[in-house]
Amino acid sequence: MERTSTNRRRGNRTGIEENTLAIVESTEAKDTQDADDDRISFLEAVRASSFASEVAVPPTNKMYEAVLQILRVGKSLELIMSSYQLLIDLDKHFPQVFVSKSHELVVVDEAWSPFAFSSDVTSNESRAAGENSSGLLDFSGFALLIEELVEIATVENLRAMDTKNLRNMLLFQYLVSFLEGDFLPRKTMYAETMNWTILRESFLNMLLGSRRINYKNLMKDCLSILCGLSQVYTGMSDNRGSPENSNTKPSEDCNPALAFALLQVGKSTCIAMQKFLIIIMGLDNSKKNADMQGQTTRADGVRTPVVEIVLDELTYNVDMLLPFLQAFNQPKWKLEIVVQYFSKYTTKPSVRTRRSNGPVDDATFTGILNWFSSSTGTKSILKKISIQVIQLLLAHGFQALLLLSSQNIEGVMDSKEETRESSLVEICKSMICAFQSLKRTNEEMEILPISKEALFTAATILSMN
Amino acid sequence: MDLDDPLDFENEDPLITNPVVNKKRKKAIGLDDLLTDHYKQKSQILEREKKRAAKAKKNYNSDEDENGKEALLSNIVNSCQNQMEEISVEEENSEWGLQVFGNKETLPPLVFPKLGSCSLLRSFINNKVNTLVELSTETGEAFLEGLLVNGWLSKLVLASGEVEKSIATWTFKLILYSSKEELRASACEFWCAILSSKNEVDAVPVKIHWFPSYSDLEKALVAYGFLSELSSTAEPVNTDSADRGPPENLIAWVKFTAACCQVRSKKSMFSSKEAEKLVEVVTCLFLDRRLQGLSVILYECMHSAISYFTDQEWNTSCEKIAKSLACRVPRDINCLRVVDCISRVNKRCKQLRSAVAYQILVIFFENKITNEEEILNLLITVNVKDKTCDLFRMYIYLALTENWLLSCPKLEEKPVMTEMWGVYLRNCSCLISSTDLRLYASKVRNKASYLLQGSTN
Repeated sequence: MERTSTNRRRGNRTGIEENTLAIVESTEAKDTQDADDDRISFLEAVRASSFASEVAVPPTNKMYEAVLQILRVGKSLELIMSSYQLLIDLDKHFPQVFVSKSHELVVVDEAWSPFAFSSDVTSNESRAAGENSSGLLDFSGFALLIEELVEIATVENLRAMDTKNLRNMLLFQYLVSFLEGDFLPRKTMYAETMNWTILRESFLNMLLGSRRINYKNLMKDCLSILCGLSQVYTGMSDNRGSPENSNTKPSEDCNPALAFALLQVGKSTCIAMQKFLIIIMGLDNSKKNADMQGQTTRADGVRTPVVEIVLDELTYNVDMLLPFLQAFNQPKWKLEIVVQYFSKYTTKPSVRTRRSNGPVDDATFTGILNWFSSSTGTKSILKKISIQVIQLLLAHGFQALLLLSSQNIEGVMDSKEETRESSLVEICKSMICAFQSLKRTNEEMEILPISKEALFTAATILSMN
Repeated sequence: MDLDDPLDFENEDPLITNPVVNKKRKKAIGLDDLLTDHYKQKSQILEREKKRAAKAKKNYNSDEDENGKEALLSNIVNSCQNQMEEISVEEENSEWGLQVFGNKETLPPLVFPKLGSCSLLRSFINNKVNTLVELSTETGEAFLEGLLVNGWLSKLVLASGEVEKSIATWTFKLILYSSKEELRASACEFWCAILSSKNEVDAVPVKIHWFPSYSDLEKALVAYGFLSELSSTAEPVNTDSADRGPPENLIAWVKFTAACCQVRSKKSMFSSKEAEKLVEVVTCLFLDRRLQGLSVILYECMHSAISYFTDQEWNTSCEKIAKSLACRVPRDINCLRVVDCISRVNKRCKQLRSAVAYQILVIFFENKITNEEEILNLLITVNVKDKTCDLFRMYIYLALTENWLLSCPKLEEKPVMTEMWGVYLRNCSCLISSTDLRLYASKVRNKASYLLQGSTN
């Protein structure tokens, strides 16, 4: 691991920092148009000083902090949007962690982070609310943000024209983008070096392992945000046309700017949430690896993999299954979840130990399709899982597999094996067989639209070959 | 000698006489200031009144005097009120924002009589699996919608390696004109997928049998109410909110346009002239305050459009875009917004930003100038101390010049221009005093001194 020294260039930055920060100095907590103008000029000045010269120079941490502060408390749409855009642009241009050309992990010295480090042990009451005088968040502040987002992710609340909702969603998106930027290069390096320390030091790992958050609740909240937003945006079109909703339309029109913003930002929040879950799944995977190689220590703690939490929630609350499958479309993990969902009902529970928790890993989607080939197999599954759930799982699993076969994602070992093991044609055939078998076993079965679409797709692909 | 006076060696200390950082800012007169001034005056008057009243007690004719005082007081209140109104009007004017969309037209109806018999569906009808699916030509469109929304359609296209015309036109029309968000978004995702993906078997691009043209995109914008002339009027003629554009379809329009621009290597959909128009249109969208929430996708679209050009095309196209935009934008605060919305993250963006700022300056000087130095010359000769000097305009000049010089190749050829810029900045920062109460005086002064410090650092 390498650490770059930026002290030299930081030296001549202090002058710029002082001058730039002076623009917003007098605006603290002021709510006037004038103060907002100054904040806009400040953002523009940061942009200018970072990107204007031939050699781009990152802002100092204090400047970053002031920009984040504007995003966190900004009242006007213009301020919120432009501070968010600036933070995203800056992170893209000045990554704090990256893999160098010589294949080494570079961590920028005194790198910028939106998270304030406060020790887990010295819990400070005033900070418990996640609010501190600086613009930075601590980990409990992140958990609080997620709790607020749970409230937002309903139809009524998303329609409530509130800039606070917008601010929270954009803040969350920025934090996810930051966590991802910190995590992905580390994950690449971990795959090469198998050195767990690289990932242990990632912000994501520190956040999830922090004693200041309740990890399980946090994950459950994330899941309900994802499902909530997914329902809002798939249900939206249906509600629009109905007469009862035409009453609410005028209120929307009184602030069209915010209506436009919320429509767009709500959707991108749903995508960001998916990204957040995916990087956690990636971390879980690597941690399991490190566990098996004996690289983890007691200090790493034990954390339930997020896939298990998701599965528990989805089996406990079947209503969530459809919105989840609709919103979550990363093929590798979607397939994994579908397969494990089936396995939960079909494999006998085995005693698990810390170092060998993986009988479920052997199952594949093809294997599951094969259970349906015989009527006895079909019957025994039907006793455990409802016919609608089976259809949903099969259709979405099939779609994930199709997507996987069309994109060769690197480092997805399971899926590669899966596609190698049986060709697409075979899978299409077994898919059709499975539904035929289901229909034979249960004459009354109503085939869901999504199953029909899956069958259509399978049959069409077969006829092409 | 007064003890408070600086000692003589202090006078010589440049650090004390020229403080480097000018932190204290004096704002344009706020309402609070006016009010406190007013109260001060009032209390002074009251005090004077008291004194006079004490004298007048002996004179018995205080009635007349009192009337006079009342009139005086009401005069002051009135003038104060007028001043406040004036200031608030001026301040409102300084907020950017134009009416980019007028009333939208009724979007064309979406009828696709031939869709049910497209070859994708037709070839399936006789398949034995259809006993499970129960598809007929009548239910075809609804079924296709399901395929689209649930993401199957793009997988089918990738597997077959081609998109037939009826499917391509249908999904395109959904993007532009459907009232259902779900369909718009899915259709847009579908196009993004097919534009960027390759056939699985031999890795050639998916064959798309129909492509939209620039005029299709333009037609849709006009239907959304896009105005070719930018106007600063605050309220649209028709206040019925249902008719007010743009519809939410604009979001899908922006995303789709961005996707089209990104695939030039595979299919060049627009001529360079059309791409120039696209950059202009997207810039205009930035001027509508109602679309602020879309800034993230608007930036993306602008980037894609700017990178659409080949290197050979770019230099001339950049000039043309800049000139045309400069003519289109009204000469007020909005011209700064135009410049600001062009990001600086890469070389082309910087070049365009600089070119637009320059062309707007040229228009401000009514094309009287023949070369770059002349603009700077004109700026230097402005007397900012003059009471009639329009400081708001000065503020705009300052910001425009800053952006213009940001990426001006002439600057290296002619070092004298950098010097002139420095002189101009010093004029603005030193000749306007911090107690100057004119509107925009502090803004010009602060901006200039900030830039001055940046250039000397």
